[in-house]
This record gives sequence, C-alpha cells and structure tokens, in this order.
Amino acid sequence: MTGGPGLEAAVRNLLHEALDRCRDDPRAAGPLRHQLARLDQPLRVAIAGPWRSGKSTLLNALMGETVAPVGEVAGSEAFVWYEDGPVPRATAWSTGQPPQELAVARSAAGMRVDLGGHAADGLTDIVVQWPTRSLRQLTLIDTPALGGADDPGPTIGRLLHEADAVLHLTRDGRDSDLRVLEAGRESLVGQAAPVPVVLVRSRADETGGGQIGALLTARQLARRQQRDPRVAALCLHVVACSGAVGLAGRTLGEAEFAALAELARVPRPQLEGHLLSADRFLRGELPVYVDTADRAALLDRLGLFGVRLATTLVRTGCDTRATLAAELVRRSGLAELRESVHRLFVDRQGVLKARSALAAVETVARTRPAPDTRALLDSVERVLAGAHEFAELRLFAALRGDRSGFDAAAVEEARRLIGGEGAGLAARLGVDHDVPVHRLWEAAGEAQRRWRERAEDPRLRLGQRRGAQVVARSCEGMLAELVDRSRRPAPA
Amino acid sequence: MAGIWLDVLDELAGTCTAHGRADLLRTVRQKRAQLLDPALRVLVVGEPNQGKSQLVNAIVTAQVCPVGDGRTTVLPTVLRHAETASAVLVRTPSEPRAPGAGSPPGVERTPLPLDRIAAGVSGTLVPRSGGGAAHVEIGVPRALLGAGLVLVDTPGSDGAAGSGGAAPVAALHRADTVLLVSDSTRELSVAELNMLLHLTRSHPNVVVVQTKTDLVPDWRAVAERNRRHLQEAGVPAPLIPVSAALRMRAAAGDDHQLNAESGFPLLIARLRRDLAGKSDTLARASVTALARAVVEQLAAPLRAELENQQAAGREGPMARLHAAQREVDELRRCSTRWQNTLVDEMADLLSDVEYDMRERTRQILRAVDEAFDTADPLTGWDVFQGWLERSLTEAARENHEWLVRRCDWVARRVAGNFARYGHHVLPPWSMSVPDDLADRLPQLECPSVDRFTVSQKLLTGMKGSYGGMLMFGLALTLAGMPMINPVSVGFGALLGGKSIRDEGKQLLRRRQSTVKVAVQRHVDDFFVAMTKDCRDTVRQVQRLLRNHFTALTEELQEGIVESLRSAKQAAETDAAVRDRRQREIRAKMTGLARLYEQAQSLTVGRPGPVVLEQSA
Repeated sequence: MTGGPGLEAAVRNLLHEALDRCRDDPRAAGPLRHQLARLDQPLRVAIAGPWRSGKSTLLNALMGETVAPVGEVAGSEAFVWYEDGPVPRATAWSTGQPPQELAVARSAAGMRVDLGGHAADGLTDIVVQWPTRSLRQLTLIDTPALGGADDPGPTIGRLLHEADAVLHLTRDGRDSDLRVLEAGRESLVGQAAPVPVVLVRSRADETGGGQIGALLTARQLARRQQRDPRVAALCLHVVACSGAVGLAGRTLGEAEFAALAELARVPRPQLEGHLLSADRFLRGELPVYVDTADRAALLDRLGLFGVRLATTLVRTGCDTRATLAAELVRRSGLAELRESVHRLFVDRQGVLKARSALAAVETVARTRPAPDTRALLDSVERVLAGAHEFAELRLFAALRGDRSGFDAAAVEEARRLIGGEGAGLAARLGVDHDVPVHRLWEAAGEAQRRWRERAEDPRLRLGQRRGAQVVARSCEGMLAELVDRSRRPAPA
Repeated sequence: MAGIWLDVLDELAGTCTAHGRADLLRTVRQKRAQLLDPALRVLVVGEPNQGKSQLVNAIVTAQVCPVGDGRTTVLPTVLRHAETASAVLVRTPSEPRAPGAGSPPGVERTPLPLDRIAAGVSGTLVPRSGGGAAHVEIGVPRALLGAGLVLVDTPGSDGAAGSGGAAPVAALHRADTVLLVSDSTRELSVAELNMLLHLTRSHPNVVVVQTKTDLVPDWRAVAERNRRHLQEAGVPAPLIPVSAALRMRAAAGDDHQLNAESGFPLLIARLRRDLAGKSDTLARASVTALARAVVEQLAAPLRAELENQQAAGREGPMARLHAAQREVDELRRCSTRWQNTLVDEMADLLSDVEYDMRERTRQILRAVDEAFDTADPLTGWDVFQGWLERSLTEAARENHEWLVRRCDWVARRVAGNFARYGHHVLPPWSMSVPDDLADRLPQLECPSVDRFTVSQKLLTGMKGSYGGMLMFGLALTLAGMPMINPVSVGFGALLGGKSIRDEGKQLLRRRQSTVKVAVQRHVDDFFVAMTKDCRDTVRQVQRLLRNHFTALTEELQEGIVESLRSAKQAAETDAAVRDRRQREIRAKMTGLARLYEQAQSLTVGRPGPVVLEQSA
C-alpha cells in the first residue's frame, strides 16, 4: 500500500486530463491545480471531534510542543493548519480578502496569535508555520468542534474534503460521536476508498474517575470497541490516548521532574490522601516543600491522574527525567497513536493522497457539463479499479470489518502482507529489519505460493478467493520489488 | 395541608373523566397514588460516563450499582430500603398494563444473587430480543433509604432529549426528584441543556449534580459557568457539585471533614428536605405541574375544535347559500341572453332565407328570358315546362334545406347559453325538407298564344299580294299593258309572301312576350307561396324553441331556488348548532382555566405561562 509510481503517475495523468477539460472554468481548475500541488506536499491529517474532546491538546502532544490553540475565536469555523516552516509565522485567509500576516507571540503557555481585529465570520483558514520535526511528513489540521449527530454542521463535509486522513476524537466513544463519521460515503471514491479514520479515545486519563489504572482500562475499552463491527466499519483503528499526559511526557521539564521526585518521596499512603482530590493536592500540608504555584502548574499540565501516575512511576524506578518522560509517553498511549499514524497514514501517504485527488476530480467532474462528467468519472473509476493499492485498501477494510470469512491466523497474515502493520518489506513479511535478502525472498515466495493456492482453492467462497488473490498479488509485488533491488546495489 | 392539593387533584381527575380522556385520568391517578406514597422517588439521569451509578453508590455509601468505565448500566436500577441486602430482576412483558391493576400477572421476578448484580444491571441476563421492559430492584439496609428515599439509576442517554424512558420504572412522571448528572471535566453541553429544558418543562423538581469535583482543580469555575448557563437558558434548577470518590473514601475512613468536602451533605440535605416536604411543598409543585400539563392537553383539542369551527363557518352551509344565490342571478342573466339570441337569430334567418329565395328565382327568370328571346314557345313548350318545374323544385328544396340547417344552428346557438347546466338541452325536434315540395308548386298553365293558321296565312298572303299586284298592274297599265299581267302577278306573289313572313314574325314575338309574362307571373306566385311557407316554418321553429327553452329555464330555476332555500335553512340550523358548541367549548375552557388558577394558587410565587386562549 505504498502508492507505487504507477498509481501516482495515473493520478497525475488524470489530474492533467481534468485540467485540460476545465481550462475555461477557473472555479474547477483551481481545486485541480491545488490537488496537483498537494501530491508533492506532506500528508494532511485532520484532528476532528466534538466540543471539548481534547483536539488542541492532542495536536500539541503530536507536535511535542505547546503551539495550539491559536487563540479562541468565538463561533469561528476556521481551520487551523500546522505545517513545517523555517520560522514561526501565521497567516489568516478570509473570503474576499487578501491573506494577512498575523503577529505571533511565543510564550510558555504556547503561541498566541493576535487576530488583529479580523472578523471571525469571514475567516476560513489560519495557516501556522512552525519549525518542528514532527511536521516534516504531516500537516496537522485543527478543526472546529463537530456538532451532534443530528446537526453535524458544515465542518464535517469540509473536513472530509480537505484532509487525507482523520483522527476522530471522542471522550468516551459514544454512538452519537460515531454517527458523524457516516457522512461522506456516498460518492464514487467515498464508496471505493473512504477517508481513513483512526478513532482516538482522548482524555483517556479521566476514564473511571482518574484512578491509577485509568489508561489501562481505556486501552482495554479501545480494544473492545475495535472489535465492534459497527466501529470497525467506520474506523481503521481505535486508540486510547491521553493527550495531556502525553504532552507532559514529551515536554517534561527538569523543574517539573524535580517537583514530582520530591512528591514521590512522601510515603505512599500519606501522598494518596493528598491526591484524593485536586483541592486537597493544592491546599494540603505536604511534608516536603513543593510550592503551591508549582503544584497548580503540575495539575494543569498533568491532571490529577497524571500526578498520581508520575509519582507512582518515580517511586517504582523511573528516577530520571528521561525515563519518566519516556514512560509517560508510553503509558499515555501517545506512542501507540504516533505509531498508528505512521503505520496507517504516513506509510501509505501515496495512496491516501491519490485517494484525495481522485475524490477532488470526482467533485469537479460532477459540476461539469455532461460529456466531461462522463469521461472524467470513467477515468476516476478506471484508476480506482485498476490500482492494486485500492484493492489492498478495500481488502484491509473487509478484514477489519470481519467480513472476509478467513480464520483468525489467516486474517492476521493477510493484514500484514497487504501492509496493515507497515508498508516496508520486512514489516509486511513479518521478519526483522536486518535479515538477509535471501530470507526475504524465501518468505515472500512462500507467502505468494500459499496465497495463490488459496486463491485457487475451489472449497473457499468467492469473496475469500478474491481476497486471497489480492494478497497473492501483493506478494508478487514484493517479489518484483526484490528483483528491482537485486538489480540495483542496495544502499548501504 | 394535604387536603388542598388532593382536592385539586381529584377535581382534575373529575375533569379528565368529563372530557373522556382515560389516558390522562390514568396519569392523574398514578400521580395521586405516587404523591400519597410517602417514599421520595429520585431519578438519576444524564449522559453516559458522567458517574450516575457512582453518585447513587455514594449517596448510600455502598458499592451497590456496578461502576465501570464503559457502558455499564443498561437496565434501570431501583434502590430501596430492605432489612437485608437483596436483588431482583424484574421483567415486564410488553403488552399494555390494565389500569389500576396493582401487580399485573405478567411481571416476572427473578431473584439475583448479590454477586451477579453487575451482570443483571449490564443487561446480559435479559435476552434483548425478548421485548418488554426490565429493571433491577436492589434492597439495601440504609437509614436514608429507610426514611423513604428510592433511588432510580438509569442508563446514559446519548444525545436524545428525553430520559431513558424505555422502562416504565424509569419514567419521568413517576419521579419526585430528578438529578441530572454532569461531570466537572467540562461545562454543560448543548445537549445537556436541551435535556434540562425538556425536563424542567415537564417536571417541577430538577437538580443538576456536578460530579467528579475531585478530578479537576477548576471545578468551582466550571460550576460558576454552569450556573450562568442555566440562568441564561432559563432553567430553574439548582446546581450541587459533589465528588463521589471523596464521599466513598470518607465513608471508608469515617472522615467527616472529607465528607463535607465531597459536597454530599448538601445534596443529601436537599433530598431529605424534598422527602420531608413531599406531602406539602413538593406535592403542591407536582400538582401544579401536572395540572398545567393536563389542562394544556385538555385545552389543546378544544382550542383546535374552536378554530376549526371558525374556519368551517367560512365554508360549510353559508358558502352553499351564497353559491345558490349566485346561481339564481346567473340563471336570470342567462334567460335574458337566450331570448335575445333567439329573436335576433330568427330575424336574421328570415331575411337571409328570403334573399336566398329571391336570388334563386331571379336566376331562373333570367334563364327563361334568355331562352325565349330566341325560342318559339310553340315548339318547345313541353320541354320548357319540365325544365321550369325542375328548376323551381330544386330552388325550393335547396332553400328549404338551408333553412333547416340555419334553424338547427340557431337552436344550438341558443342552447349554448345553457352550456353550464348540461349538454342535453336541445329540443327534441327534427326538421326536414318536405318531400312534396314539387306538388306544392302552383301549376303553370300554357298561356294562350296565337297560332298562325293556314287560313290566316292564306288571307294575309292574299292581302299582301293583292296590293302588290294592284300597284304594279296600275303602273303597267300606264305602259299600256293589261292590269293583270305576269309581272304584276309576280310582284303580287312576292309581296304576299313577304307579308306572310312579317306577320309570322310578329306573331312569334307576341307569343314570346306572352309566355315571358306568364312565366314571370308564375314564378312570382311561386316566390310568394314559398316565402309564406318559409315564414310560417320559421315562426313555428321560433315558437318551438321559445317554448322549449322557457320550460327549461323554469325547470332550472325551480331546482336552484329549491337548493337556495335548503341552503338557507341549513345555514340557519348550522349556525345555531355551532353557536351552541362554541358556547360549550368556551364553558369547558373557562372551567379548565379556573382549575388551572386553582392549581397555580397551590404554589404562590411560581407562576407558569398562561396556557389558555381566553380570547377564543
């Protein structure tokens, strides 16, 4: 699912063909040119979710810095784009006005962007450039809150249009949050390859009243939810993640660590009494000296659960800042989330961008006069049907939705082979990164044989044989890649 | 004190019966039983994962309701006092209950072991497909419950504006106090505010409980903002922030300070106050709310009927009456119109037909003139007579045919005035060209013409030849020739021949003119006769048509007048009936208004919106 050169070329050709047809119509040509440019830009991942679901916190956690929010604009429906750039700067885009540079003030609490008397109603986008490594491969989009399932507002439509992939946040995975996702599945591209969504149970640290096992419980709930076929049909993956704890882990300062270490020195039963409630923690008489302001800062950064977790961790061995930070990141689920984003989104950015481009062409095609529409839609369908990457995506969805009918081991293997665990050869074949090439050959060849046999096994159902065919085709693709590699000397 | 609201309630029940609303009556009876029951029924509602079950547990300070991180409470749980801890799973079949039956036979009660309460509440013991409602009843020995408190824990409501009303045990109207649970990690959401608005509209006693204050440092700010939201939304509900975790901890360690910190004493005091005041203030508020709801429900159909009737007054019999009157006017206009049409058309017809006839006879005469300029009546009389008769018959037939067609057309034209009354109004008549037209023609006698007989010719010849012979004889005698000589005889014969020829010509001309005059007279006779015939026919037709359409008009008029009369009558009776009904409705409305006022006076200082349309 890497989105090989074949697919990209096909999509580029299609975009050029569409541009050719729409030369006379600037309203159609604009989006197409935009798509063409997007093919060379980083993947766009939108962070969506209902009100107060922790979108900005998670965004900061993913970036590893406190950047968002860019200033609260009441009632604004503006998307905030975070992309890599040499210097921090922010630009506001409004309808009917030229883009305007905004003043950026960097502070400990994050970045503040002065909207400078901009009318909130005309504002559509704020583009923030921020120099950070995390944004090299990804452009993150902070979106306005989604409404309820009955009235999701205009955001969801625009979001499914602009983003290549979506992180959908939910506090507790309730049904109404999921129903929003059912939008945007009626188009040609939307049916063949919907926008990939990862469901994030954000604010996982508040699960079950913030007890020490909260994150573990949240992870279990996420796993249980993933097995729900209704959720599986809508989302690629479900991750529990506490943005606050993760962000604190990624940006843990020495002073904070010192305060936490100091707290951890207090005997456990005594400390527990103080950590009963936020009020008690702030006002209580601790036997060690930690300033009230520091305590408030700790609570603000980590939350009560975070403080509980961090002190326990320090007590049980994470006695340096680095180990504590790493453990916090790991426990918060942020590591898993980043890993999922890489595995499911970044590794497949070619095919995801191609998908967005096809969707855009489809949208444009539907506004054109009939002969153009027919021709363009035909082309879109041809690319959709012809690219093996989309076949893999579809099979992946079918495997996740448990509609394939294979046994569990076969499902696991098929998912790995079509790139569900990662797009690299080793990841697909389930071997270590540093195995010699002949092992790769063996593994790929063996898998190809097995799945080819399955594809021709008359005892299996048609759907299963088709699925096996796709897997076998993926294996052949890997063999072809190996052949390619052996011709060129592998880079050291 | 209980007497007053009980009276209002009974009166309300009486009104429901009078209005024939058994459903409302059932509600009122239920409310009455509920209000007379000293127990305070507390319904705990809210979105999922806000800590509803934990709140219930903290109130009784026992882990009774299962608390989990996902969706744990699926069945409503009723918590009440019992000497020993016990749990029962109650399943009610889905068929409607008979009103008044205390415990319907269909209810199925399965005792649950205490360690399976969690399974029971999470709904795993009840097949989902079974239909019907199920709930779990748990009894625990607690003093607070012993005083009469009944707690009902409900499954979280996701987005929907109502409470989890699937099971009747969790029904809103059976609760005395409703606790809406929302946690401190965020402010009240729009959905929650909507739910609150819905709750406070139908329920007098709603309290917002803000849980999990232990979890966040800024819960006071959240509470403050929540109070402001409530005020802005116009929700008359107090807000009590609590921490169940602290309360449980305090109960475990018997820590009074911690208990105070948890905020629960405030909530429990509120519940105790409700419990103590149930038979008075709470009951009054409930009755007021119930009365408002019931009166609104009773008044709504009445109001609708009133409006309908007012609308019906604009159509109905009055409209029919007006239509009938319009119809009469229309018929009057129609009858003038058709009479004018008939007279005009007939006059036109007559002149046209006469002109046509004259034209035809003129042509015939012209032909006759031309013919007899040359022909001799003597030789071709028979042929001529045949031709003339044929021509005249032909002319008469054609003229008559045209007359018939015109008459028919006129009849249709007149009937066209009656188009809106139906198509079958042509008179049942048929005119045709009579077959005996030829016989009706006056007989043309051959005029007596002078024939040029042989003796006349001889005489004329002799006369002519005599003169000539004498003239030439005398002249020749001068030349010495005898008087009668061959030359004079020759001349005499010549002149005699000439005079015969002249005389013949003269006679022919005379004959021709005689015949022409005769024919002209004949044709004139014919014309007069035919015209008379025509006039008669036309007059007959006119009379026929007039009679027919007059009859028709009278018939129509009779029908329309009849319908006018009946419409008038109907309008009069209908107005009377409607008036009576409206008076009835107004009386009922006034009764309802009085009842409403009475109920309102139970809780002074808590005015509700006036529901009745007094100006109806």
